[in-house]
Amino acid sequence: MSALSFELKRRTEQRLDLSSLVPSRLDGLNRKQIESLSIATTRQALTVGDAFKVKGKDVEQLHFVGTDDRCDKIGAKLSGGEIVIDGDAGLLLGAQMKSGKISVDGSAGVSVGASMSGGGISVRRDVGDQAGGVAFGETFGMKGGFISIGGDAGALVGERLRRGLIVVGGKAGDYAGGRMVAGTILLRGGAGRHAGYGNRRGSLIFGDKPRHLMPTYVDSGVMEFDYLRLLETWLREQGMRIRLGGRARRLMGDMAVLGKGEMLILE
Amino acid sequence: MPELKVKGVTIVETFAEAFPMVGTRVIITAPTAEWAMISARTMTGFATSVIACGAEGGIERSLSKSETPDRRPGVAVLLFTMDVNMLQTQLRNRVGQCVLTSPGSACYAGLDGEKKLKLGASLRFFGDGWQMSKVIGGRRYWRIPVMGGEFVCEDKTGLTTKAVGGGNLLVVGKSHKAVLDACTRAVKAMADVPDVITPFPGGIVRSGSKVGSKYAGQIASTNHAYAPGLKWHQDSELPPTAEAVLEIVIDGLTADAIHDAMHAGIHAIAKGGSRDGITHITAGNYGGNLGPHHFHLKEIVG
Repeated sequence: MSALSFELKRRTEQRLDLSSLVPSRLDGLNRKQIESLSIATTRQALTVGDAFKVKGKDVEQLHFVGTDDRCDKIGAKLSGGEIVIDGDAGLLLGAQMKSGKISVDGSAGVSVGASMSGGGISVRRDVGDQAGGVAFGETFGMKGGFISIGGDAGALVGERLRRGLIVVGGKAGDYAGGRMVAGTILLRGGAGRHAGYGNRRGSLIFGDKPRHLMPTYVDSGVMEFDYLRLLETWLREQGMRIRLGGRARRLMGDMAVLGKGEMLILE
Repeated sequence: MPELKVKGVTIVETFAEAFPMVGTRVIITAPTAEWAMISARTMTGFATSVIACGAEGGIERSLSKSETPDRRPGVAVLLFTMDVNMLQTQLRNRVGQCVLTSPGSACYAGLDGEKKLKLGASLRFFGDGWQMSKVIGGRRYWRIPVMGGEFVCEDKTGLTTKAVGGGNLLVVGKSHKAVLDACTRAVKAMADVPDVITPFPGGIVRSGSKVGSKYAGQIASTNHAYAPGLKWHQDSELPPTAEAVLEIVIDGLTADAIHDAMHAGIHAIAKGGSRDGITHITAGNYGGNLGPHHFHLKEIVG
């Protein structure tokens, strides 16, 4: 069966709420029913059929083509299946998702994978602020799963992160890992100011020595971490070309809060 | 009925009687293969028999860097007991005292399975509040700060209730040297079989036991029917030429694995033929009423 694909006809005047286009909601619907689903976010009515050319059948494999930064909530609350996006994604991509896979060929907006609890999101280019952050109405950010960002991330990547792993290939903005509770953020291209602000138990791993270090992080010096080897093995199994090595400088913090978090700066 | 012989060695028409056990596998890694082996040997020391050791354990095989979760050299260890509670206690004590303490070691689950045993889940308390939990790819690991750096230990490992203990071969020969050489060959051949260990010293038991004794409180005593010095006795099962009998005991995660190990063992023992001084290969049983697993030598050779 061929993937069920949605090709954006033209840039819409309003933002689109695509949260209904997930396998669990589409299962059992025929083409006509799918095309009549509302995706409007204003008082102006708008259906899937108005904005997208729909093709294919397999609801477990969704394909978005030509989407732009107004296509919000793609794969939100996803609970299985695979979504491939040939284009950009708007805000709340894969927010609160439980399982499944989302991959974006372009960039994504703010709150990618907000409060997600499982599954994987991979964005080839940049993402907006608060990737892996807190979804509306939630108290914690990402609670499990994996977010891989090929390009740069905005501010507050992994805000209130509780569990799970975020990898930023490019540069992250200010307050990376802000108020994180636990979990891991790997920052390969460095971060802006105040990284690890309010970090309780989480791990921030830096590919290079960060330019700005919070004064509330305390140096424990360099040592061996088998944990980094485990992480490297797993990332390579995911197809990432990455080398962490086993040695890192460990700084503990944020001492302004619990102080059981860490920054590992790879040697 | 014609006697079954392999290269002149008589395969006695009998069976090894084995028992259900619970078993688990853990993977120990270290900075070098040597240190992984030291850690594994320590953990499986004094683990020959559940009669008095609490558990039966052994080294299944060495693992290359590419086979371990952290890409360091490793060793796969199997541990068996008669019930799950004992397996949990033995695993905690042995990993806690022998692997946690071993320089540069880490310990990971070696078995999946619905039922789990606590590994790092109990050892984490050694961290006194400084331990950290990390979930990678759905598996939870504990990082415990220790003097040597950091001890990484997976949260849980799987267990199997389908394990089998007490698969065995008794090797009868014309000289102690002949029997020891043959058994050494057999243990080596069995080491290549996955999912099994031979828990006794070097895989070999020189003092096979029977259940009970003339002395009250002695639960096991010498298998006098196979002691060459007691050949005169009416209970003796040995031919007049027998000078020594050694036993190989096999524990496995599955009955099939024991079958394969016994097959490999018998052929390794008989390799040199009767000219090497081996006269009989037999097996230990209790009449067939105690253990549900019967490994008939005739079927295994075939």
